[in-house]
Amino acid sequence: MLNDHIGSKIKGSSLHTEIRAQVNTNRSVGLLCGNLVRNSRSRSEGVCARVYKNGVYGFSASGEYSPDAVAQVLAAAHDNAVFMDKRASKGEKAFPAALEGSVVSAKEINDAEQRAYIEFARELDDYIAKKCPALVSRSISVRDEAIEKLLRVSDGCDSHGLLPRSFVYISMTANTPDGTPVDLFEPIGGYGDFTCNFSDPALLFGKVDALYEQIMQKREGIYADAGLRDVVMGPDLAGILAHEAVGHTVEADLVLGGSVAAHSLGKQVASELVTMIDYAHTALGKPVPLPVYVDDEGTKAEDAVLIKDGILTGYMNSRETAEHFGMKPQGNARGYGYSDEPLIRMRNTAILPGTSKLADMISAVDDGYYLTATNNGQADTTGEFMFGVCMGYEIKKGKLGKAILDTTISGVAFDMLKTVDMLSDDMVWACNGTCGKKQPMPVGMGGPAIKCKVMMGGR
Amino acid sequence: MIDIRKQAQLAIELLKQADAVGQCSVSSGKALEFNVDGGQFSLMRTLFSSSIGITAYKDGKKGTAATNDISDIAVKAAVEDALRSAESGVPDEAYGIAEYQPAEKFVDGELEPDRDKLFDRVEEFVKTVENEYPSIILEQVIVTHSAGKNVLLNTNGVDFESEDGGYGFDAMFSAHEGELSSSFLGCGITTNSLDTPFIELGTMRENLDAVTKQIHTQPLEGKFTGTMLLPPDSLRDFIDMLASNFACDGTLIDGTSPWRNMLGKQVADEKLTVSIAPLDSRIVSGQRYTGDGYKSENYDFIKDGVLNSFMLSRYGAKKTGFERAKNSSFSLIVKNGDKSLSDIIASIDKGIMVGRFSGGNPGTNGDFSGVAKNSFIIENGAVGSSLSETMISGNLAEMFRNVTAISAETVCDGSSCLPWLAVKGITVSGK
Repeated sequence: MLNDHIGSKIKGSSLHTEIRAQVNTNRSVGLLCGNLVRNSRSRSEGVCARVYKNGVYGFSASGEYSPDAVAQVLAAAHDNAVFMDKRASKGEKAFPAALEGSVVSAKEINDAEQRAYIEFARELDDYIAKKCPALVSRSISVRDEAIEKLLRVSDGCDSHGLLPRSFVYISMTANTPDGTPVDLFEPIGGYGDFTCNFSDPALLFGKVDALYEQIMQKREGIYADAGLRDVVMGPDLAGILAHEAVGHTVEADLVLGGSVAAHSLGKQVASELVTMIDYAHTALGKPVPLPVYVDDEGTKAEDAVLIKDGILTGYMNSRETAEHFGMKPQGNARGYGYSDEPLIRMRNTAILPGTSKLADMISAVDDGYYLTATNNGQADTTGEFMFGVCMGYEIKKGKLGKAILDTTISGVAFDMLKTVDMLSDDMVWACNGTCGKKQPMPVGMGGPAIKCKVMMGGR
Repeated sequence: MIDIRKQAQLAIELLKQADAVGQCSVSSGKALEFNVDGGQFSLMRTLFSSSIGITAYKDGKKGTAATNDISDIAVKAAVEDALRSAESGVPDEAYGIAEYQPAEKFVDGELEPDRDKLFDRVEEFVKTVENEYPSIILEQVIVTHSAGKNVLLNTNGVDFESEDGGYGFDAMFSAHEGELSSSFLGCGITTNSLDTPFIELGTMRENLDAVTKQIHTQPLEGKFTGTMLLPPDSLRDFIDMLASNFACDGTLIDGTSPWRNMLGKQVADEKLTVSIAPLDSRIVSGQRYTGDGYKSENYDFIKDGVLNSFMLSRYGAKKTGFERAKNSSFSLIVKNGDKSLSDIIASIDKGIMVGRFSGGNPGTNGDFSGVAKNSFIIENGAVGSSLSETMISGNLAEMFRNVTAISAETVCDGSSCLPWLAVKGITVSGK
């Protein structure tokens, strides 16, 4: 755990000041067709300071974490704020008072020996090699990462937190009858260290079998028919829909940067069935996958309701943008590494479940697709989004048909969400995603199955 | 200030004492950064960084460890970590380190920033955009000066040292009129000099001009198969996908690359020559040695349409029996053609100019589909309206066999030098 070299020396400073000591650890193992292609351990530790002066920030970071380094980055951040104020002052006033306090959520976690990751991966790989004879390639990736932060702010809530997550990724490649390779992968895991999440490789054998069955279907798959189509998106796609299609457009810094949501506050942007929330640490009475209790500006985290019954009700803010928009900061400002300044980031963003059953939703589609897995997604200032779809099935007269080959779906979020006419009554969370926005950031996302219309790529 | 050479030597000595072979790379650096958000200055950032990466091989097994603490204690701990990882590993005959090469030191670029001039150039860019492109909102501009030193040693006596620095400028923007908005577009520049305004470098003006014409868009009705014209920034993304899917370690080691038997054979139209050339004079502070310890040389990836080299690491090369790539950068140079851009456009009956491709990861077979962002329809030899909600699909291998024209004009942005390129046979679909 991080030692406290910061103390309380910045409490009550005339300029809003943050000091954050941080350590990011990563353990990683990769097997490709049985070859150990990655076997690495890394640790990145340091301290940063940020000072706010009249609407501009000065920031500095050092890879050394010691009392001297704390003083060095504090002085440099102050000098940078003074330089910026002199050259580019906006004349903004100081932030309103924030809730004071201190939250400690960090706890010791188990840092497994590298041998544990390798042995787990090899046992799983042996099983795949034996049980999945039709594969032309297979890979296993085991990742364990943890982010520990010790934060002191001049005005607001201090904190000491830790965010561990660990995953096993299984990838399979098989050939179609004409010899063309097709791929499929599945991430397994979530919040918690490796030893907490993965006690026995045999517990994952069922998931391997299911993935193998899917890729056997996919290798016989057909190209989707391009165009505007009725679809049922599985929960994996609902999560990325919440994150990419809507979430980014309502980050307040992107609103100021020209996002379509600048003109949509208080307006109907989705079907009345749709409610979407960026959860801080608890959702529907249960812990979320990646809980945030205090952000890196010292704001105590609370849920941000973004869409309520189809109406756009709010943005995600930093203290600065909250002041600009006359909103309340809710703890969305986070930095990834010790050398990263806090940016507005999503935490655990989800579309809430509805009342329908998945089987009824599929039955309600005459000619369309059921999309079950995605491998990436991107958003736009216009609200136009794109997801890669790596597993799905055609639906003909309410029945599932052949699997489809890789495709892409797209739409304009605030148009597409108005076509949502059924939501399933269950919900699935995922937190293997790493959002990219100047810095990477672990994020959680979730949702139910969604019936709607989207544009599909294909042939 | 810790001497990075001494720390690298300490790590190599510790590896030798453990009867291991291996490599150590130690870096230290500093960076200055200005940020503009929503068209206004927001942040000045200074960073002081260091890092050490150790790769250890023992009994035919490999382990790596990395940390940003380069004190003696941390170096010893990192070596032990790498050795413990190796002990737990799996033996592989393809593991190993670079053979001995003569020691060399490389110094390149602008090692110290001119802070005030850098600020002035950013301010000038913001004001020029405000005055000349009033519909543009600068979502974010990130301008940096980075400088650093690196020492790479291995137990075979490889000894490379580099010191370099330079400026990077990245801008992301969109155009607006009332509630109407274009898609965002970003572009970047790497340079050693602040003599030229940022707006005059790379594709900055072309992209600002294009985006201002993308506020009013038309959805495409139906579907057609036609020509896709790729501007330089978009071409880089497609070549990146092509290389990642067909020519890199992953799909060549597992044997799924469609190009695994194509070395020395025609894989693209004969007009296409793609070089990876970090030593080219148009590349700013290009790679001088690879991460696995070899001195970098330029090479042709595809020459006159023939696959000349894969992009394999040392490990990938040993694993597959092919030669390793002569550098591990992506300093991309595509040879220009003989037709002007305007002549290429005039020759297209029906097609699409794609400023940015936003798509899913292509499958191993090279099939891709995605949204044609920042795009224009091309009909009867002329660029028409900007498009929205339009998707494109095709296959990477087929696409580069179907090149119809490469422009005489090229754009260099400090990290690549690229023309416009036209390919036929792309499926374009709208609502």
